[in-house]
Amino acid sequence: MARKPTRGEIDQRRRGVLKGGAALTLHASLGFTATRAFGAATTTEMPFENGHRELVAFPQKRPLILLTNRPPQLETPFEVFGENVITPNDAFFVRYHWSGIPTSIDASTFRLKIDGHVSRPVSLSLQELRRLGDPVEIVAVNQCSGNGRGYFSPRVNGGQLGNGAMGNARWTGIPLKTVLEKAGIKTGAVQVSFDGLDRPPLENGPDFVKALSMDHAMDGEVMLAWAMNGKDLPMLNGYPLRLVVPGHYGTYWVKHLSHIEVLDKPFEGFWMNPAYRIPANDCACVAPGTAPTSTVPIGRFNVRSFITSHMPGSFIRSGQPAVVKGIAFDGGQGIADVAFSEDGGATWRPAELGKDLGRYSFREWSIAFRPQRKGEFDLRVRARTRSGEIQPLTASWNPAGYMRNVVESTRVLVV
Amino acid sequence: MKQHRTFMLAIACALGAMSGASNARPLEIKLPQETASYKPSTLPGYNLAQQNCMICHSAQYVSTQPSTSTRAYWDATVKKMKKPFGAPLKDEDIPAIVDYLVKTYGAEQPQTNAAVSK
Repeated sequence: MARKPTRGEIDQRRRGVLKGGAALTLHASLGFTATRAFGAATTTEMPFENGHRELVAFPQKRPLILLTNRPPQLETPFEVFGENVITPNDAFFVRYHWSGIPTSIDASTFRLKIDGHVSRPVSLSLQELRRLGDPVEIVAVNQCSGNGRGYFSPRVNGGQLGNGAMGNARWTGIPLKTVLEKAGIKTGAVQVSFDGLDRPPLENGPDFVKALSMDHAMDGEVMLAWAMNGKDLPMLNGYPLRLVVPGHYGTYWVKHLSHIEVLDKPFEGFWMNPAYRIPANDCACVAPGTAPTSTVPIGRFNVRSFITSHMPGSFIRSGQPAVVKGIAFDGGQGIADVAFSEDGGATWRPAELGKDLGRYSFREWSIAFRPQRKGEFDLRVRARTRSGEIQPLTASWNPAGYMRNVVESTRVLVV
Repeated sequence: MKQHRTFMLAIACALGAMSGASNARPLEIKLPQETASYKPSTLPGYNLAQQNCMICHSAQYVSTQPSTSTRAYWDATVKKMKKPFGAPLKDEDIPAIVDYLVKTYGAEQPQTNAAVSK
């Protein structure tokens, strides 16, 4: 199932960006590059200070950018997003908080417990869960709150990620609403908390538990997924069951979901407060280097877009028409339009949108690019949602390094 | 509609596979060998970092942070590992660990990070 790229494919991909050894220095200075030094592990340089990383193949995964071994944190190499609008399971990013992760799960004995402020506490096998109702399917982006944290200026501490801590998959499962109705919500319920099989390595550490408001939990969109792109979830993406919270940051997408508790008062665990908080204002931002006066839990994605057909530092032949392609997404309004600039944002023209896979999916876009001169071009792309939210031209800042969504710059060379 | 029917068929097949999978083996994974380690140093905090920090997480949590990370950051981070994260750190060992981290990985390195990492 887990298809790994062959050495030839990796080399071919690398040639696609590097076009020969002479370009190496220039390329490395402009952005992302992968090299294999002296037969050692493949490594890559993220385009920020202290960005040296290994590419390592974890179980059921192709070689991914290794942020940490224990617990596993793996980032998708950005070129993958240019291959398909759906992110393959074996390339999908991995993020855990605690090293006590499950490495063996028997699906036949796995149980999901639903209790708390309910009239009928239940413990369901996967088969029982599947029989509760018709399965549902949604294409939705999962994105880490700190995706792109490494690009913050001034730098902030935390997982030093490029923009590969995101992925777009087709999720199959059952609405959370159906499961909660089975247990029967008592009046006075205000929130629902979610716990998975991962555990802190030491007893005293706060278990990774997240919570949603009752209304959100019952919106019919939040789902319990057992399949990703038509296959079982990979272990490192939450096998055999995970929460899918469309349009919301990955922190809520609890993996190996084993316990749902309905609460009659707000959940106050560490991972809701003080962790995963953003400044309580419209931009979720503060002046660089300052602390917010009040915070709220992180929620929906802001709007983002990326060029995926050309990596920073790649080459384009002059005098030949090129097509620049990419993706855009947001927290669920849907993408209204995408504008493209080949002059660093001085002028913009509209890109053509691709197939609509739903308002929570990556939306592909493309545009013809006919450079009239040789030299460096600063390509930019800017998306706007159906409700008018548009990407900022300058980056906003917050101390946790969350929610980066500035218009990105991809510098390419026309030769 | 056609897409919907195809999808339902896929689900039916998946269910079929499931029902036959009651005596399927558990999914097991074996994680790759962890190779990252703390940078050797004569500072007393080096051994303490090895003994304490590696209990819960791999060394990349430290080594990937920006080299501009201040003593205040490392101090707050080590203390966070003790409370609320529950690390069995002795209070008297914390200053030495912080000193090692800021001088080896942070803002008080003797050389620039670029020079160190090459």
